Amino acid sequence: MAKTAPLRPFWPVLAILALAAFLPLGVSGYVLGLLTLAYYFGVFAMAWDLLFGFANEVNFGTTFLIGVGAYSAGILDNRYGLPIWACVAAGTAIAVVGGLILALPALRVSGPYFGLTTLVAVLLLQNFVIIFSEVTGGEIGLVVPDVITTDAAGNYWIALALLATSGVILTTLSRSAVGLILQASGQDRIQAAALGFNVTRHKLVAFSVSALFSGLAGSFMVFYMGTASIGTLIDITIGVQIIIAAVLGGRRTIIGAAFGAIFLIGLTEILRPTGEVATFLVSAVALLVVILAPNGLTGMVARKARP
Amino acid sequence: MLVLQILIDGFAIGALYALGATGFTLIFGVSGVLNLSHGALMVAAAAAAWAAHTEGAMGSLASAAIGLTVGVALALATFRLVVRPIQRSPAIRAEEREIFILTATLLWGILIQEAIASLFTSNAKTVPPLIGGVTLLFGVRIPRNEILTAILCWAVIGILWLWVNRTRTGKAVLAASMNSRGVILLGIDLSRIHVAVWAVYGLLAGVAGVLLGMFLGVSSYSVGPLTASAFSIVVLGGLGSVYGSIMAAYAVGYLETMTAYLVSPAYRFIPALLLLVTVMYVRPHGLLGRR
Amino acid sequence: MTSLKLPALLTLAFLLPVAGRAAEPIKIGVISEAQAVAGASIAPAAQLAAEEINAKGGIDGRPVEIVAYDDHSSASDAVRAFQRAVNEDHVQAVVASYVTEIALALQPWADRLKTVTITPGAASDLIPEAIAKDYAHNRYYFQGFPTSSAVAHMVCDSAKDLLVKHLGMQTAVIMSEDAAWTLPLDATYESCLPPAGLKPLDHIRFSKDTTDFTPIFNRIEALKPDVIITGVSHVGVQPTVQWKNQQVPLPMYGRSSQAINPVFWKDTDGGAQGVIMQAFAAPDVALSPKTIPFAEAYRRKYGAFPAETGYTAYDAIHYIADAVHRAAGATDADTLAAALEKTDYEGALGRIQFLPPGDPHAHALRVGPGFVQGVMMQWQDGKQVTVWPASLANGEMRFPSYIVTKR
Repeated sequence: MAKTAPLRPFWPVLAILALAAFLPLGVSGYVLGLLTLAYYFGVFAMAWDLLFGFANEVNFGTTFLIGVGAYSAGILDNRYGLPIWACVAAGTAIAVVGGLILALPALRVSGPYFGLTTLVAVLLLQNFVIIFSEVTGGEIGLVVPDVITTDAAGNYWIALALLATSGVILTTLSRSAVGLILQASGQDRIQAAALGFNVTRHKLVAFSVSALFSGLAGSFMVFYMGTASIGTLIDITIGVQIIIAAVLGGRRTIIGAAFGAIFLIGLTEILRPTGEVATFLVSAVALLVVILAPNGLTGMVARKARP
Repeated sequence: MLVLQILIDGFAIGALYALGATGFTLIFGVSGVLNLSHGALMVAAAAAAWAAHTEGAMGSLASAAIGLTVGVALALATFRLVVRPIQRSPAIRAEEREIFILTATLLWGILIQEAIASLFTSNAKTVPPLIGGVTLLFGVRIPRNEILTAILCWAVIGILWLWVNRTRTGKAVLAASMNSRGVILLGIDLSRIHVAVWAVYGLLAGVAGVLLGMFLGVSSYSVGPLTASAFSIVVLGGLGSVYGSIMAAYAVGYLETMTAYLVSPAYRFIPALLLLVTVMYVRPHGLLGRR
Repeated sequence: MTSLKLPALLTLAFLLPVAGRAAEPIKIGVISEAQAVAGASIAPAAQLAAEEINAKGGIDGRPVEIVAYDDHSSASDAVRAFQRAVNEDHVQAVVASYVTEIALALQPWADRLKTVTITPGAASDLIPEAIAKDYAHNRYYFQGFPTSSAVAHMVCDSAKDLLVKHLGMQTAVIMSEDAAWTLPLDATYESCLPPAGLKPLDHIRFSKDTTDFTPIFNRIEALKPDVIITGVSHVGVQPTVQWKNQQVPLPMYGRSSQAINPVFWKDTDGGAQGVIMQAFAAPDVALSPKTIPFAEAYRRKYGAFPAETGYTAYDAIHYIADAVHRAAGATDADTLAAALEKTDYEGALGRIQFLPPGDPHAHALRVGPGFVQGVMMQWQDGKQVTVWPASLANGEMRFPSYIVTKR
């Protein structure tokens, strides 16, 4: 069984977080807005890494969970005008329920079948949103009347706080029994079960936590952007970007996923002046990293750190 | 009349799905690779055929040939540039290979998709039909090329079957899919088998892509849905089983067609998705899958 | 001598800050989709407009600078581009997107970042309706393209002349993609087709992801209407090619955004023959004295005629410049928005005026004879022939052999 990375990254990460907290004092609103989005993506990627990076399974479960949480929160605000905190709480709770419902068929299968189940879940959710467009806003999306704040710094700190909190909780979970068992089952499912671990129960815990943070971050994102739409929340491309961010950052490290997300969004933005070829270039860079440096960005950093 | 229309339309769609799925399942069965750039290969072949005709002023047959060539070339490129480096990489452990190949082929597919959109815009492209005009089949008016499409799809599947079961290389491929170590022990060069399989896969995807371009048209936006569709059909039929893929392809093709005709075109994709969910729940390894 | 020096110095001192300001460019951000045929014309057309303005000395001496962004047809990319344009590149106005979803996603940001924003192509009535409903928060937003309901009215008016009076048609089936912009379109179709003389027998909405249109055409044909009234934008090539391959014996008439593009003939390999589409601009129709010169200038510079959004983007840059000029150089959002509301400008599209605040479609373009009018065109042998209105028509309707009409 592979060793999880030691706690050495703890202090540098803390330093980076402290630095990040002070960024709004010197940096433009545009960069803050970019990082806000990147932090939310970081939460998505970390949630993916816990559940699927450890368990070695590619799938789009997080996209489904994000969509369920975000749309629930958005609809509640749009139709019933509930206060934001209530919508976010409800969105998160509904996402967890959604996660458990997804877990039912998903846990009975593994590998590509698991991936397919989650893909189908996302497609069904998309169709659902389009069919019930009077409630969900359909193709054009939902416009939410309330936003948390229009202040760039305020939004930034909220996202950063969420990133830090979820990072701590997810990392702790990954080093606990849950994470180890997920890893074990990812490498050899039968053996893990044979060793007496209740794989299913631990996977359910992982599912719920992953769903919680996906739904939470998704709901927050809706109240940050002021809109919820299929293209920004439930598209397959979102799921693809999350997977790429996590793999790029370095799987099974949790924080690697966050860095991967920030790197991906940052790179896309830096390349914006190249216009239409930006996506091509970012994908090319990501592909090279995946082939040549499979342990991702954190792997590259770790290799340099080791003497 | 309606029943006949459904039968004929569904048959043509099913044949196209079957051809695409067969390629996908072949490469999984032999190479163990779930190629998530499958849709990109198909669209690239169709786009190349379109470009040959529109920009290069070639006839429909020559354009189709160009499309096939591009399909094979891209498939081989996928193998050499993306899949093989990961399979041989010492830095990736055996149990992690799958996720890396999935991610890498996904990215590769995006690269191809973006390239197509940049070169030709994201607008849909159609490939000139090999034969034009319509004809009456059991009283249903149908384009002649649609009949040709169904015939060609089945012809290619038939040739594939002959190749796998009757020729030496083909039988080696079949053997390799069952037991690659045994094949090596028999003295057969496994790497040549892989190249052969990827080339054949490229041909299958190329034919499917070009025919799809003639029948319905494709665009860079089709890449994702085509991959997802092939993936779903293959898993539904059971990974690695060609018969399963063909059965599943027709099941999905007819479900979609019936829904579009009888219920509403807007709900076309839903019953197939529900079928998938049901089968996943009841028979997780697909209709004819083996573990 | 000395007596002249002081006034000369004073005049110089007075002119200096003005001269300093004269060099400061007016920056306009342009957000569009370069990979989409409809979106690819927006930035080049804007650039052409800027060059024309600068060749004449700019806006009171200040040059216009276009800063272009690609949003990859993604709402979140567009929002990020918008933020970058305003916060980093300090643009004074934004021209953004032809996609309704994206235009709607940007609406709240125009207010949050207090920047005048014009959409050169999004048609949904929701856009001006949102401005009318919450004027205080949406007053910086303008719709530089006619609404879906305006499009539908034009289709009905022309159908009355061309289809009912001329060809004796009586029934129709409405075929549209299931998208936001077609909701007001279809609702208007249903209400304006009967008075025009066409009874809608059915109304089919298909998923935007549809690739196989055979069931749809078969279903329509079974109802035996005289014509198919269309509302498509996200799709175009596929249904048209399949319509031709299957030799569906019914004409397609209505709004087909992709069919308007000059490249459509090549994209469908001639399958567009006989398709009749509504358009607000065409390279050989003098909707205004500026239409044809612009189309020609665009072709000389870029090698092909512009898409419809090219005309609207070109006009947008010009009337933004005009508004800055009328506001005596002020470019803060409130003054600029107020100046834009009073726009009365002759553009390539026609006479541009915005509906005033208080109107249920505030900040939408004024549509009708004398303003933005548009035409009905038909693809004939690789050419887009204008067939309506009679005053602008340069050809007669002609249909492929497999289409059966009563007269």
